[in-house]
Amino acid sequence: MTTQNKPRIGVYICHCGMNIAPKVDVEEVARSIQTLDHVTVARDYKFMCSNPGQDMIINDIKELGLNRVVVASCSPRMHEKTFRNAVKTAGLNPYYFQMANIREQVSWVTKDSQEATEKAKSLVAAAVGRVFFHQPLETREVSVTKSVLVIGGGIAGMQAALTSANAGYEVYLVEREPSIGGHMAKFDKTFPTLDCAACIMTPKMVDVLQHPGITLYTWSEVHKVEGFIGNFEVTIKKNPRYVDEKKCTGCGTCMQKCPTKKVVSEFNEGLSFRTAIYTPFPQAVPNVPVIDADHCRVLGQNKKCGVCVKFCETKAIDFEQKPEFVTLTVGAIITATGFQAVNPSGMEQYGYGRFPEVYTSLEFERLNNATGPTSGKVVMKNGKVPERVAIVHCVGSRDTRHKKYCSRVCCMYSMKFAHLLREKTGAEVWEFYIDIRSPGKLYEEFYNRVQEEGVRFIRGRVAEITDIVDDATDEGRLTVIAESTLTRRTVRVPVDMVVLSVGLEPARGSEDIGRLLGVSRDGDGWFNELHAKLAPVATPISGIFLAGCCQGPKDIPDTVAQSMGAAGEAIALLAKGIVTTQAEISRIDPDLCSGCKSCIESCSYSAIRFDEARKVAVVNEALCMGCGSCAAACPSSAAGVKHFTDQQVMGEIESILL
Amino acid sequence: MVKSMSDFQPKIIALVCNWCTYTAADLAGTSRLSYPANIRMIRMMCTGMIDPKYILKAFLDGADGVFIGGCHPGDCHYINGNLKFKKRMAGMEAIIKQFGFDENRLRLRWIGASEGPEFQHNMTDFIQTIQDMGPSPAQGIMVL
Amino acid sequence: MSVYAMVKDTSVTEAVKAALTKLISQDLVDAVLVAAKSPYSALPMPTLFANAEAMDGIDPLAPAAPFNAARQAATVSRQATGKRLALVLRPCEIRALIELVKLNQCTLENVVLIGIECLGRMENEVFLRHAAAQGDVTAEFLKNTSLQDDITRTCKMCEQFEPAHADIVMSTLGMAENSVLFASGSETGEALLKELGLSPAEKPAERETVTKQLLEKRAAFKKEVFAETSEKINSIEKFEEMIGTCLNCYNCRQACPVCYCKECVFLTDVFSARPETLLRRAQKRGSVKLPTDTSMFHLTRLSHIAHACVGCGQCSSVCPSNIPVADIFTTVAAQVQARYDYVPGRDVQEPIPYLMFEEKQKSGEPK
Repeated sequence: MTTQNKPRIGVYICHCGMNIAPKVDVEEVARSIQTLDHVTVARDYKFMCSNPGQDMIINDIKELGLNRVVVASCSPRMHEKTFRNAVKTAGLNPYYFQMANIREQVSWVTKDSQEATEKAKSLVAAAVGRVFFHQPLETREVSVTKSVLVIGGGIAGMQAALTSANAGYEVYLVEREPSIGGHMAKFDKTFPTLDCAACIMTPKMVDVLQHPGITLYTWSEVHKVEGFIGNFEVTIKKNPRYVDEKKCTGCGTCMQKCPTKKVVSEFNEGLSFRTAIYTPFPQAVPNVPVIDADHCRVLGQNKKCGVCVKFCETKAIDFEQKPEFVTLTVGAIITATGFQAVNPSGMEQYGYGRFPEVYTSLEFERLNNATGPTSGKVVMKNGKVPERVAIVHCVGSRDTRHKKYCSRVCCMYSMKFAHLLREKTGAEVWEFYIDIRSPGKLYEEFYNRVQEEGVRFIRGRVAEITDIVDDATDEGRLTVIAESTLTRRTVRVPVDMVVLSVGLEPARGSEDIGRLLGVSRDGDGWFNELHAKLAPVATPISGIFLAGCCQGPKDIPDTVAQSMGAAGEAIALLAKGIVTTQAEISRIDPDLCSGCKSCIESCSYSAIRFDEARKVAVVNEALCMGCGSCAAACPSSAAGVKHFTDQQVMGEIESILL
Repeated sequence: MVKSMSDFQPKIIALVCNWCTYTAADLAGTSRLSYPANIRMIRMMCTGMIDPKYILKAFLDGADGVFIGGCHPGDCHYINGNLKFKKRMAGMEAIIKQFGFDENRLRLRWIGASEGPEFQHNMTDFIQTIQDMGPSPAQGIMVL
Repeated sequence: MSVYAMVKDTSVTEAVKAALTKLISQDLVDAVLVAAKSPYSALPMPTLFANAEAMDGIDPLAPAAPFNAARQAATVSRQATGKRLALVLRPCEIRALIELVKLNQCTLENVVLIGIECLGRMENEVFLRHAAAQGDVTAEFLKNTSLQDDITRTCKMCEQFEPAHADIVMSTLGMAENSVLFASGSETGEALLKELGLSPAEKPAERETVTKQLLEKRAAFKKEVFAETSEKINSIEKFEEMIGTCLNCYNCRQACPVCYCKECVFLTDVFSARPETLLRRAQKRGSVKLPTDTSMFHLTRLSHIAHACVGCGQCSSVCPSNIPVADIFTTVAAQVQARYDYVPGRDVQEPIPYLMFEEKQKSGEPK
């Protein structure tokens, strides 16, 4: 390896026409550099980036046997690639190259010509001192498994699955509930167009079920994720349904006959009951019930029952089912774990839980839904139709005591409620808001429309909801107290019903999913995107993408668009079929590694794993981004970034100060 | 050995992040925003990769000042490398201070990619600070 | 609330022995790591015992510690073996061990920590001199305060002589002659004390006064050393003077319990100077002192471990050039630790400051 042992460095000083040359005495720089150790040749030339300039380097490499090249010209951000290619053309590894920036950092910013020349000499000497330590580097290619895992079967996950499957890739969709559909399946109408959620949702659910490219795992969870971009090894835990999916015809007889009828319905937000064997809602996909083991007389209470077994004609009930584990290899993962509504129980002033006529927005969605507990009739607990309803915005959102962010959807759904209330009940509706946020296509128009429909808007945060009334005739009603910041008056409005427009927070369990995937979460618990503006669906972990509310609150159009974006990213990765690893990434010398895991703690990309057998840290080249956090954390320099080694950086420092 | 203040030309090493401060320096160049010639910039991929050794090496080798330029918090190309460095910085300051290097000879600043004028201002200001402080106490001593 | 027990025997060493041998003979642990004299030397060395009969030479309260035994403790607890270990350690050794746990160098799983209330250790040759003059140095040391003045300089400035985090603490301050107080520091310790069947005792009232006095004395000396050292190294020139006799033998690093690297970066080629660079430098300056990386070594080591320095003083003890390495390190360490509000060995859950950067994004301008 004579090339490595005896560095022969060629140095080229560019005039850059009139950009460097008159300010920097390029000939003087070349003369001075020529005297440095290991410099075989130092030349200056008008335009190094031109063809003749590049040819000069290529010829010198061939004829003078150069094995290192330094070009002093513009910023490496401009022409590093150009010169690396020239070096490569001459048969040298492109990483035997270093650039000194004597234009942007010298000639363009230095007034005095002599000082500029001295600074240029110093920077070129630094590049020479660095290139001495350069090493040949290679990139590597890894093939990609052409399948996608989608976590979460709400509208985001469904859309991401459909788009990916439509591109011809194998998709595995995992949903922890018995049915896909997510929150959107609970809605009656959607803003601002007021289309019926079920009408646009159910066909999509069926599409997902019937798509030949989608394998659906409901009542299942992601159990383990290993591997990296292109080839993730995923283990899915299928919880026992106690109903054989292959045998069940979805006739529903078991649910009618089940004697345990007083289980609180999660889907109806606790406003109705379900049986122990159940599907969450009639249009569930798949239309196969699950047995809630906690409430089933056989499974939960060890009693003799077996009514469902007796009535099931296809013998689909199987009390012996155990959790099943399925292992899959996928090239990309799309996370669509969504949100949950903020629970307002802790916010004493709103009286939720104390006053029966205070509802959360999701409860109201169910109350208003044709498939809900009242079959869509908006009535109070006493069966009467409310005459005046207050809708309280920003419950838990834009509140430093709870979530400081705006949940983005509440203004719009609150106004949707107002419209539906006016339409269905004719009730007087009062909206208590801080600001109306309606930035979307046809959103502002919708706001205008509900104003025209006679909905009252009070600008002010509600201070209290109480059952103390000012006027005896209002006995039994609630009083909403707020300060109208427009009129600077305190308003006290007696109402029959209150809807709390609760904000959104990350879904329960997203912390665990984040941990499994290695995807970090922000201070509010939403998953971190790779870049807020330029990479909003990618995550810091290559090959893992975000769809929908798991990244932050979103309405349905934005969720669907982002899901398609996430699917697009996944498809791009799968279509290319290979992942090329970067050359400038970390390496850990196992002979020097003490196994302290400081590098693992420092790595933001989960790109380092611990080899328990050898007790050393090992870099996953496919995940490493080359940031060097591990290198700085490693006291023995066992970890280091290729092309930014201690010797290279300190070689540069030393040459500058020598 | 110690020169008079007026002809003292400090040598300053700047370890800067490729994605922000280095880009800002390019922008300062393109915009012809001049600053004194005492800065020697070394391109790093992230401030998070700056090993304390580099700073010690620079000081012991006779640098009069060390400037670190990173991305604003929240803008790090590698999520939070800048914050990792900031954490190390506190320890480094304590160490160099004890050994007689004025703490202010080591400076960390966040300079975003679009902040050409801020880059110019920061360079000018740091060079002036070092100029006022005089040569590093390691100058003229055979330390390394 | 701690549970107390007392053991009285013909000497403190016998009292300790009586209790510790029971750990093995009653099958409460599988092995005990404890300092013991060997037939070959009076200097107690960290020794691993699996048999109670072999424990005759144990002498954990002896004022000698040729090692900070955290290293040896980490070796035997490198990974969980399924066996239950008792580690008998000094406070500085426990603190170092906790740092090593954080660095994944060992585990406390299935480990019982028995801490020694440490009145200090002597340099090896001082201890051996006393040992030659009188048989039981331990007994003499614990009752003879003039002997206590012979402890190392670093021990004299140690305020953390009472072990934290130990399951059981053995102490003698304020106790009657030939008696050792055993106190529980955890539920595990409490259970063990019960199983050992030692006679329950009250915490002697005079302990508090004695402890407080010692603490004050130590704190005052520490303040003095810090001030003096800080002044002695407050310029790089003075520091050079201080380490002018350094031989780059790296003994200090070898003796340091928290310098855990398998191979030090100063043994790799990262700092190896190139001949052409040396010549250029010699040309420029007239001369170059070799090796060139002496101060770089000490400062780099400080940058690596100042936050974790437990102040055991072993670095000074092993320096062949009598450089007060520990004075330098503890002085700088105190400043670094203050900046991070970090105390090495305080809590095994406390993250190493450099690895703790969870501070919210968007927070704070530098300085």
